[in-house]
Amino acid sequence: MPRPSTSKVERTASHYHLHRNMTTPRGADAPLETEISEIASVSPSPSSTETASSPTTPPESPQSLWLRRSVLLSFWAVALLLGLPVWWKTTAIYRSDLPLQAMSDWAEGKVAKPVFPLRIAVEAPVLPQDAHSLVQTTQHALDDLNDFSAHQLRLMLVDPPSTGNASQQVVIDGTRNTGDDKDTALLVRLIPVETGKTPRSYLHPYSSTLNVYYAPSHMSSVSSTASPLAAFIARELHSVYAEEQAQLAHLLSVSGDHNAKVHSLSPDTAAELQRQSTRVLKYAPTYHLTFSLFTSTSIPSAWDIEAALRQYMAPLLESFSTISNFTIDTQVQLYATLSPSFPPPEYDETMKAWTLRNEDLSGFINAAEWPLSPSIAHGPTVNFALYVPEQSKSPLLVKDSGANSWLVPQWGGVAILNPSSSEQDATPLSALSKEALAPAMQTFSNQLISLLGLPQTPASLPLRLSTLARIRAASLVFSASSTLGALAQVYQKLPNIPVPDTVAQSVNRALDHLQLACDELRDGRFQGALEHARIADGEAEKAFFERSMVGQVYFPDEHKVAVYMPLLGPIGVPLFMAMLKEIKNEITAFRRRRSAT
Amino acid sequence: MLSFLSFLVFNALLACSLASSDYHERLLLRPLPQSTLLASFNFRSNETSAAFEQQNFRYFPRSLGQILQHAHTKELHLRFSVGRWDAESWGQRPWQGAREGGNGVELWAWIEADSDDEAFARWQTLVNSLSGLFCASLNFIDATRTIRPVMAFEPEGDHRNATNLHLLHGTLPHEVVCTENLTPFLKLLPCKGKAGISSLLDGHKLFDASFQTMAIDVRPVCDTQGQDCLLEMDQSVDMVLDVARSKRPQDNPIPRPVPIEQIECDTSKHYNGHDTCYPLNKGTEPSWSLKEIFGRSLKGACPLTDAGPGSETLCINTPPERDIHIETDGQFTESRSSADTMRCYQLPIGSDFDLVLPEQQMSTGLVLPEPQLYAARSINGHGQERGSAQSVITNPSARGMEVVYLESLPWFMKPYLHTLRAHVDTDSENPVRETYYRPAVDRQRGSHLEIRMVVPPASTLTLTYDFEKAILRYTEYPPDANRGFDAAPAVVRVLSPNTMGDRKGIYLRTTPLLLSLPTPDFSMPYNVIILTSTVMALGFGNIFNLVVRRFVGAHEVPQTGGLKAILQAKIARLTGRS
Repeated sequence: MPRPSTSKVERTASHYHLHRNMTTPRGADAPLETEISEIASVSPSPSSTETASSPTTPPESPQSLWLRRSVLLSFWAVALLLGLPVWWKTTAIYRSDLPLQAMSDWAEGKVAKPVFPLRIAVEAPVLPQDAHSLVQTTQHALDDLNDFSAHQLRLMLVDPPSTGNASQQVVIDGTRNTGDDKDTALLVRLIPVETGKTPRSYLHPYSSTLNVYYAPSHMSSVSSTASPLAAFIARELHSVYAEEQAQLAHLLSVSGDHNAKVHSLSPDTAAELQRQSTRVLKYAPTYHLTFSLFTSTSIPSAWDIEAALRQYMAPLLESFSTISNFTIDTQVQLYATLSPSFPPPEYDETMKAWTLRNEDLSGFINAAEWPLSPSIAHGPTVNFALYVPEQSKSPLLVKDSGANSWLVPQWGGVAILNPSSSEQDATPLSALSKEALAPAMQTFSNQLISLLGLPQTPASLPLRLSTLARIRAASLVFSASSTLGALAQVYQKLPNIPVPDTVAQSVNRALDHLQLACDELRDGRFQGALEHARIADGEAEKAFFERSMVGQVYFPDEHKVAVYMPLLGPIGVPLFMAMLKEIKNEITAFRRRRSAT
Repeated sequence: MLSFLSFLVFNALLACSLASSDYHERLLLRPLPQSTLLASFNFRSNETSAAFEQQNFRYFPRSLGQILQHAHTKELHLRFSVGRWDAESWGQRPWQGAREGGNGVELWAWIEADSDDEAFARWQTLVNSLSGLFCASLNFIDATRTIRPVMAFEPEGDHRNATNLHLLHGTLPHEVVCTENLTPFLKLLPCKGKAGISSLLDGHKLFDASFQTMAIDVRPVCDTQGQDCLLEMDQSVDMVLDVARSKRPQDNPIPRPVPIEQIECDTSKHYNGHDTCYPLNKGTEPSWSLKEIFGRSLKGACPLTDAGPGSETLCINTPPERDIHIETDGQFTESRSSADTMRCYQLPIGSDFDLVLPEQQMSTGLVLPEPQLYAARSINGHGQERGSAQSVITNPSARGMEVVYLESLPWFMKPYLHTLRAHVDTDSENPVRETYYRPAVDRQRGSHLEIRMVVPPASTLTLTYDFEKAILRYTEYPPDANRGFDAAPAVVRVLSPNTMGDRKGIYLRTTPLLLSLPTPDFSMPYNVIILTSTVMALGFGNIFNLVVRRFVGAHEVPQTGGLKAILQAKIARLTGRS
């Protein structure tokens, strides 16, 4: 029957019509009457024809019920299957994938532990088998002495003048001069002597060579484990690298690597190393050195800084050039007053000098007025301030130590230049000569050395520099790893921040270079390791400080609610109510059916 | 009446003779009409090019030097200005306008670069660094506020060694110049405001002046062979102080009425009575001293200045009959020149110095040199959509002037070049000789208009053009959007005749324009969201209800209870009763 299954609306509308317009002309009502009869035939229930005193709703046909429910369902389907994904897609914050596991592994030191195998060449003018056994015995002795597994000294035999057979694991071919080879940390040269106390050793201050003088009699017992010569060489080598080992162990322990705890550091050494590491500047490929002359009055207003730098600073900077580059600028600042909050110097009768208290020194630099802004180019600035007090407040010294210079950790150094007291009556110099600057320049050199973290021992400068390269490489590896770990944490903890692809690229590059740096370290190529570690650290920092990552963090949720509410409220409420009503109807119908059965 | 004109020659001569010394400073005081005082400070420090390249800074400030090197800037001009120079009563501008900027901040520089893009990148570095150095919003000088002038500026320095120089010019007319800009300015000086004439500079007085401009000019100076180059930094502060206003004590700056007994009344007025008083204009020069005017005492000389004429660092330009008393404990010398109208003092080192000028009845006055040109600019028209700008340039002299007129307009002020009209009241000939125009690109660059014109003697040139105001995006409005937008002052440069004879040139600037743009109500986005949401919800609700609801006959609805039925029953009863 096609007719009754047509729109229910049409039918109800005709009901209304019938009910309200009793005065409608007959002609118009004629088709309605036929329809009513049809309805009666569709729903034979007597309720439809009952009187208004107790009206009941006619039960719905299954088709219309199905129609209404499918309409409702399709609304919900559109909202959930189309609207929600579109909304999700258009408002999602782009977060590129980061290798989180690898990043946190690096931070926890699970991936690769830096190791520092040092190659030490031994040059012995004796028979190859003697030399061989000497090296073996010494290596054993060394391994017994060494309790720090990450730092190993490997002895290798090289033949001094002749191209003899390369014994054991010597990878260097005999034609290369081992003294200049960068991969060889130290050359031990055995020299037989007849006179003097033997064995004795001499470390070259300007080349990485350790001369060991021995009496030929020592060579006779080299194969035995108790050879005095082997034990002596082992002790010497161990003492040469003692500070480096301590520093590396300290680095490892600070970075949270538990394996390093094996190497026990005495609390004093640990405290000293801690103190050193807090004052050392963060590593950078380029440092800017700023030398400033601060004069409390108008004189001296000039200094021969160019010549002084050339004479006292340039050689030092030259030797550091394998690790970092330096740019230098200088300035003269007159009328440099101490900060008003700084306690004025007191006159000390016993020292015949004006004194500054030790605890006040940190406030000596008047940061508000002295133009010590960092250099504009990339890289950290190291400040060296030379302060000339006014004639009436001179000499100016530090109270307890009587010193006239001090170091400001991670910032630079301060030196006070007191005008020479012998010529008190003479007019003060308006310009400082190179000679007058010499003590200050030497102070600044020492301060620079400790700011750069150059170890105190051994006496040989090339050895100290290569030690510094290793320590720098290791610290860069640790800092890059911890930066990556921090980035991984940020990524996981802040789901709101956008992460652009450049961050992922930087992270991948950093990971690659970290791996390369560790490989290079393992192979003993420390210069290459430093280079890779530097790149890794730079990339990790770049990824962590990506600017676009901070933009949206503080977009509050209330804001979003305020934007969505006017739309979602009026649309969501009818949808929800309709659904609830349908569910209620269904439940009641279900109950009725169950009670009916 | 005494002539004043020789003063300019005098000053120029001094400048030449002193170019070789390393540090030089000078303060020139000149009383102006209406009891105002022009104080013109000038500080010049030199550094040899070699020392500059090696970054050994002695007189040249390190912070600025590094910025210049980093941005490859060969010549720099930076201006901070507030107020208007009242040319009608004050006469010619200090330095002929060459050390003056438009209201706010103005910066132009010659930058060495291989390409335009590289030059702009370096310009960005420069403005960002200077922004940090001077605590000013210079970093807002972006591409829309940067132009590359063609005729209006010439390099002052010697650039024989440099190739590929690019001139870039940026303005910030909205910038409020204040004390925080003076402090870094003083820090650049070798004596830092602790000694010498810079010890007079105080932020409170400087920014209370009727007109003030701070300028920094860096340029290379070479000898005639192009060897032995120096980098010269010229810092100057020009300010016009109202004497009466400046004399107010700093601890009690609010002006209070003087008791009527203390006012000398003009008894010739017919309304003069016991309670009515017209203050008597005695026609005397007011009394003042340096300490009263500047609120600080002059702390002797800066000892870096060389001996010779350069050591006379304080000069005052008054008629010879004016009494001047010196108060100091130290040694000083006085010299007179330019027919005694110029008195210069060599200051003592280490002791305070003060000039005291008593109140005095003057029979002669100085003849103030008349400016070469007057220029004014204004906005005409009404409504928020269109407008027109009118510039009036008056040449009072008996010689024709060739000038360059430069406009740097923001992109949202779009001039119609076809409406540009230039017309001279005494001549029917078109005064425009050459026009350079670079139209604006929305949100990328502003308009740049440069016109070379000839202003005939004793005539007025009127330049008009129409413009349209753009509608900005919601986020492009500043926080104080209803205040309006500033358009940078126009720059007028006199090409010929150039009486100064040096490379600085003669400039004058108009006042900035305040442009009111159509400003929306800033709750608009939320209103839009709510309105559209409501409309959508209405449509959705209707359709949804039609589709989902079940319609039954009224008699088929079961008469259940509930609030609605009770209410209906009550209403039925009420209506039935009435």
